[in-house]
Amino acid sequence: MAVNMEIFHQFLGQIAHLGERAEHVDLPDEKRVALAKEIFHQNIKAEQAGDLESCMHCGLCAEACHFRVGTGDPRYTPARKFELARRVYRREIGPFRWLYRLVTREITIDDLMEAQELVFDSCTTCGRCTLICPMGINVAGLVTTTRHALANAGLIPDDLAAVEQEQGSRGTVFGAGAEHLRKALERLAAQGLEAPLDKERADYLVLTSVVDLLLFNDQLASTVKLFNRLGVDWTFRSNAYEGANFGYLAGCGEVQRKATLRVIEEAVAIGAKAVIVPECGHAYPALRWEGADLYGKPLPFDVYAISEFLGLLVQQGELELDEALNGKVATYHDPCKVGRHSGVLDEPRAVLRKLGADLREMPNHGLLNWCCGGGAGLFVINRTVPLRRAAFEIKKQEVESTEAEMVVMACGSCRLNFIKGKDEMGLNGEIVSLVALVGEHLVRKSEPVASGREE
Amino acid sequence: MIAQLIDGPLWLFSAWFFLVVALWRLLVILFKGRPKSLAKPRNAPGGALATIFRRFLPYPEFRKVSRVRFWAGYAFHVGLLALLFFAAPHVEFLSQRVTGFSWPALPHWAFEVAAELALGGLLFLALFRLMDPVTRFISSTGDHLASWLVFLVMLTGCFALWRSHESLRLLHLFLAELLLIYFPFSSLMHALTFPFSRGFTGAVYHRKGVNI
Repeated sequence: MAVNMEIFHQFLGQIAHLGERAEHVDLPDEKRVALAKEIFHQNIKAEQAGDLESCMHCGLCAEACHFRVGTGDPRYTPARKFELARRVYRREIGPFRWLYRLVTREITIDDLMEAQELVFDSCTTCGRCTLICPMGINVAGLVTTTRHALANAGLIPDDLAAVEQEQGSRGTVFGAGAEHLRKALERLAAQGLEAPLDKERADYLVLTSVVDLLLFNDQLASTVKLFNRLGVDWTFRSNAYEGANFGYLAGCGEVQRKATLRVIEEAVAIGAKAVIVPECGHAYPALRWEGADLYGKPLPFDVYAISEFLGLLVQQGELELDEALNGKVATYHDPCKVGRHSGVLDEPRAVLRKLGADLREMPNHGLLNWCCGGGAGLFVINRTVPLRRAAFEIKKQEVESTEAEMVVMACGSCRLNFIKGKDEMGLNGEIVSLVALVGEHLVRKSEPVASGREE
Repeated sequence: MIAQLIDGPLWLFSAWFFLVVALWRLLVILFKGRPKSLAKPRNAPGGALATIFRRFLPYPEFRKVSRVRFWAGYAFHVGLLALLFFAAPHVEFLSQRVTGFSWPALPHWAFEVAAELALGGLLFLALFRLMDPVTRFISSTGDHLASWLVFLVMLTGCFALWRSHESLRLLHLFLAELLLIYFPFSSLMHALTFPFSRGFTGAVYHRKGVNI
């Protein structure tokens, strides 16, 4: 399950030059401010108004934020990250806007630029701060609204903007496309793993991601093995294989919508009963929790994160795994968007126990896990490297305190961040994908066959 | 004449002002509406009440880092509530001017304990806000003003009882009236908005299968 580090570093090299490809829109500063305010006006409803009215700057959120704790810099206190939203709310939307317009200054482009660093560079919208906040403020929600506001104003950081623009125009990212999917599946077929592609009807639409196609081939191979072993009616679709949604990450509503609808329409076209989201943190909430609202009606299929799907199969006795881990000490890193934000906490652990791992939890795990610092698009924003290192130091200590031989995770962004962290800062223990681990330990039967055929 | 103003019309004005403007601020939040999510929920609607009450205590993982603010905050809030509604002069004032009925007041020793807890807690938090690098950085003028105004109201209340002088009582009442007028515009409104912020967040997470 080792990752090809040469390809990994090539991938990092590609990321290093992302910003050069971003297209810029020339807008007067006043127009940018107006465009940002539009989004705040649209998005701030009762929930966010209640949040903005309740913050009394107690500072407790600072103790839960990996960037603030890692750097010691009060600038990264979560309460500061929604300050722009609060100021716009007070001056333009709140009950005393007439008063605030008299006694506070107007929002300027400098305010937007300051917010850009706070909400894009130093926030992974992990939501841990919400758990410590005595007022229960949904900070991640306010940061997301602010990202949308800045995106509307044309102020997404260049690196992230480049990827979002590519997905908006080409439907895929990092220069990959359907051809890369076909070639990856051909390579697997050469190893005896046949994967159905572009079946006209299937019960399961399985998504993957460009990171899996280019780098985490073990995740792709294991996904194919798993679905073949289950004997269910499944397919990849070359028109909608990408689970990642850079519109969601960048706060660009239109690109988010396009990427989501592409998957939904494809799933509907093939009559899918379920869509399986790959190991990709944000991909799951983007489809599971926001897909229906973009579609305009409830989704006619279920959505599962693959870690969730595996766990349910184990819990229902429908997945046979050997126990070859045989007491190997493992710890599980919860991806924030799948765990804390979406409730997939027990299922991955059920899989690890079924595999025979001696599961040792980090001091802060499950709902209270520390974010690894690489999510919400930060991994592609080059200037965030120092912040990510500071955050990763916390995670490193958490992992190493368990003395685990392996740290298992179910998110590609986390895995990228962990690999980079280990490469640069060292980390005891092997970094392992949950689905890749499952693929290694499926109970051996006859050779896997393409779905729909008898074994 | 000033005494009559403070004891009469200004009290009425400040009390009604607080009620109307605070209610206005809460209604504006509610009338913003909540978009309905079309995503298939993991749980039936709920979660709001549970989070409102659960949040009164920190998660075990956060107890160490929040310990000082937790104890000082509860000392202040519990002490203040005890004073506000159960200190003998307040029971007399409220029963005559607001409720029309009376209730048992705290014995003197309990009043003293409540006063010390409230004053000590608030003084600690006000100083913490000034000295801690995070709160010093993020606090606004309004945050400081709210802390010290409440402190002055409580301090003058203690002096008024201690010295039983009419002018001290009027000073305490005047500052309390100023506080009532300032309250709905300030972060002190968290006392009334916390059910909304906790409840909405609790409901959103509960829908996704997470109880926070």
